[in-house]
Amino acid sequence: MADQTERTDREDGPGRRLLVIERAYRGALETQFADVLYLARELNRQLGGVDVLLRGLAVTFAAADTRPAPSVRVGHDTLDTLPSPRDSVRSLLEHGAGVYVDAADLAHFEAGPGWLQPGVRRAGGPDAPGPDWSAYRDVFFV
Amino acid sequence: MAQRIPDADVLLALMGAPHTSDMLTSAVRLAQALLERGATVHLWTCGHATGIAKAALGATKPRNLENWAHGYPSTLALAERLLDAFPEQLTWYSCRFCTEERGSVPLADRIKLRPPFKFAEHVAAARTTLFLGVI
Repeated sequence: MADQTERTDREDGPGRRLLVIERAYRGALETQFADVLYLARELNRQLGGVDVLLRGLAVTFAAADTRPAPSVRVGHDTLDTLPSPRDSVRSLLEHGAGVYVDAADLAHFEAGPGWLQPGVRRAGGPDAPGPDWSAYRDVFFV
Repeated sequence: MAQRIPDADVLLALMGAPHTSDMLTSAVRLAQALLERGATVHLWTCGHATGIAKAALGATKPRNLENWAHGYPSTLALAERLLDAFPEQLTWYSCRFCTEERGSVPLADRIKLRPPFKFAEHVAAARTTLFLGVI
């Protein structure tokens, strides 16, 4: 209604949200740009800040190496607008989101130094406990 | 009049929704590879896979807020690209029950609606059937 002031969580008070992402490979042809990280960027913008915890196969979203560029041949054309989660993680970091990856799940990929993008934090183990869920205003599984 | 199902090298029966996994991506890659090698391919969609080629999708997805001017093809447009590129080799069928149940009507004109109780005829017409996903 026109006489209502638009509410945003920025006005409601402080508190970041934690987004837990556990599933990767969610239908690249249909999804294209509108993947779960696109949602994360929008939640980060609307809700005044989010951190992201990547688990399972989603830990690969945080890999530094963006090659090869995802594409698929369809008919006589090449579709090169498939989801690009590694670029999206970089964008999230640039927009102030914190990005954590589950260290145990990361270990499946034998991810050595330099495997992760700069700015991404490992979560797991005594030296890197990861995000404190109780410190967040909400925890969303997305 | 009974419809005669043409022979095919491979029938790809797509059961799963296009957004829960990369099954559709795999199916399109497989179909593309088969078609490029001259094979005849039948696609059969059931469940939410029927929505891949519904006419209401139009040619493009809704706009990308981060790249406003760029057009991203809908799954309907991708289906039509495949059909355009291989008109003699690719035939696309859709289960009438699932198409109606999931609100996927009307489909693109070139998609042939088939009653579910005729599925066995399609399996019989294909040398190999690959059943992908669950409804």
